[in-house]
Amino acid sequence: MATTRRNLLRTGWKLGGGLLALAAGWTSWELLRPLTVAGATGKLKLGSPANFKPGTATFVNEGRLWVANADGHLFALSQKCPHLGCRVPFCESSGRFECPCHGSVFDIAGEHISGPSPRGMDQHPLTVENDQLIVDTSKRINGPDPGASKFLTAPKGPACAGNG
Amino acid sequence: MIDQETGSGEHVRDGLEPDVYPAPSTRLQRLRHTDAWRSVFRHPQLDTPRGRALQSFSNVFLHIYPVKVPRRVLRLRYSWRLGYIITVLFTILVVTGIYLMFFYTPSVTAAYGDMQQLRTGVGFGQLVRNVHRWSAHLMVLFVVLHLIRVFFAGAYKRPRQFNWVIGMVLFAITLGFSFTGYLLPWDQLSYWAVTVGTNLVSYVPLLGGVLTDLLIGGPQIGQSTLQRFYALHVAVLPLALALMLMVHIWRVRKDGFAVRRGSASAGTFAEGATVGRDDGAHDSADESTADASPVLPAATAMALENGDRIRLLGVVDRESVTAEERLTDDTVFAWPHLLVRHVVVGLGTVATVLALGVAFAAPLRDIANPNLTPEPAKAPWYFVGLQELLSHFDPLIAGIFVPAGVLLVLTLLPYFDRNPATESKYRRVAISIFATILIVAVVLTVIGALFRGPGWKFVPPWQHSYLEM
Repeated sequence: MATTRRNLLRTGWKLGGGLLALAAGWTSWELLRPLTVAGATGKLKLGSPANFKPGTATFVNEGRLWVANADGHLFALSQKCPHLGCRVPFCESSGRFECPCHGSVFDIAGEHISGPSPRGMDQHPLTVENDQLIVDTSKRINGPDPGASKFLTAPKGPACAGNG
Repeated sequence: MIDQETGSGEHVRDGLEPDVYPAPSTRLQRLRHTDAWRSVFRHPQLDTPRGRALQSFSNVFLHIYPVKVPRRVLRLRYSWRLGYIITVLFTILVVTGIYLMFFYTPSVTAAYGDMQQLRTGVGFGQLVRNVHRWSAHLMVLFVVLHLIRVFFAGAYKRPRQFNWVIGMVLFAITLGFSFTGYLLPWDQLSYWAVTVGTNLVSYVPLLGGVLTDLLIGGPQIGQSTLQRFYALHVAVLPLALALMLMVHIWRVRKDGFAVRRGSASAGTFAEGATVGRDDGAHDSADESTADASPVLPAATAMALENGDRIRLLGVVDRESVTAEERLTDDTVFAWPHLLVRHVVVGLGTVATVLALGVAFAAPLRDIANPNLTPEPAKAPWYFVGLQELLSHFDPLIAGIFVPAGVLLVLTLLPYFDRNPATESKYRRVAISIFATILIVAVVLTVIGALFRGPGWKFVPPWQHSYLEM
């Protein structure tokens, strides 16, 4: 097709419209995207590792996470269930994490035992500096795949979810 | 009223001609003769065909309706007035929503207090909130019923395919409306229902993280989320819904408000295209009274009634114009016949939501606590079927592929289903598939809403009800 003035203008309008839409999309994204990417931003000092006894899970409100000691191994576990984001409480009687929303159950290391969750509980990296346990809440590591059972033990007692 | 119709065939002097205006005798008549009055109300109120038509043409609100509609449209069972009831509910939501905005602050520190203040410190505040809440639930319910009725009537078929698509967009906007409003009270019910709902989005392949970030505006539901949901709820979605509703209603008229169901030969576009030949199957509901004549477009009916020729200036297909010779009139004026029925249904709708608002208080649980998930944490009732599905299957399948697939298939249904018949006996496959989807959705919703308790364990409602509204 020969290039006529009309065709040139028509193409120009289309290109201009496309560019405007792109510019609108980009500026909207820049305006609306969240400025932080993780929970409580940055690193949190949690005190001495010796404070976290084996078989216990301690909730850290500032980081919205659990520090769990599974047979001497420490984990910083996100409180959000990987299934649909409900807060997963630790059940003292069973010694497991039990999600009240859809019944997913995790062992003390956050490994998936049962329920609809697609994986174990997500984790934050932990380091020890000068006998201080430090968690980096700006980074999140996906929980272990289903079937992982390195720290799985028999429940200590009755489950909490569904008994309340 | 000035002149009445005279005999048939004679040109009617109906008072619209300046020379037959009677001399004003009362103050009101004199007022109505002033230039100022007539600049607002172009025509006097006249009970003649031309007078009524001109009133409709010159009044933006009356002109939402066609001047004339087929007589069968007046029957309740023609549409069950579902689309109209939805419009009334939307109007109630806008009005009550504006009242609520006077007392609500979209802040995590103030929102819950405002809700409590509304209950105890604002005259009729609780009632307005109740009416708003129940209207929102009813709107979702009626949109679904409307969709079901349109499907079973086969009213999504040519030439109305695109209006069905617009209807599906309106359905999605309605759900968005209800969902964004759900968070605003900032109580435990709203916080966790929205937590569950927004986490569903994170399963969208590739874009899940970005979409979740955009929706909640941060790492977890908080101030940014509340502000975003508020902006969507009071500005973006109402504008989108009003715009799409306008197009939807406009297309109801243009695609054949008046078309007889079962007429497979309806035209392609424009009001003239609603002229149907009588070669299609008839709606069984219409068979008892319908004559063999096709339906008349309103403008054509009026012109023929007055003995005028009409020219549609090429906006209709040729067949529609040539079909005029075979037309007879079975239409009535929308005003007052249809309008009066709509007023009655509208008043009934208002009375129903008021009664619900008086009888049942909208729930308000404890203030939202991100560290305490209630047992059970349920999504709003219209998403609880999805939540039930999610407890059985992988989230990617149950949360994304199944609902998105069903929505996509439903949206594109008019383009898949090329069968022109609208009677159920000729549409067994389509009706079977649709009915199966519907039954599965209803069963999942009932189980999720009524039969699930803490830990998502099965709890019969007669033992303990965990229904959340």
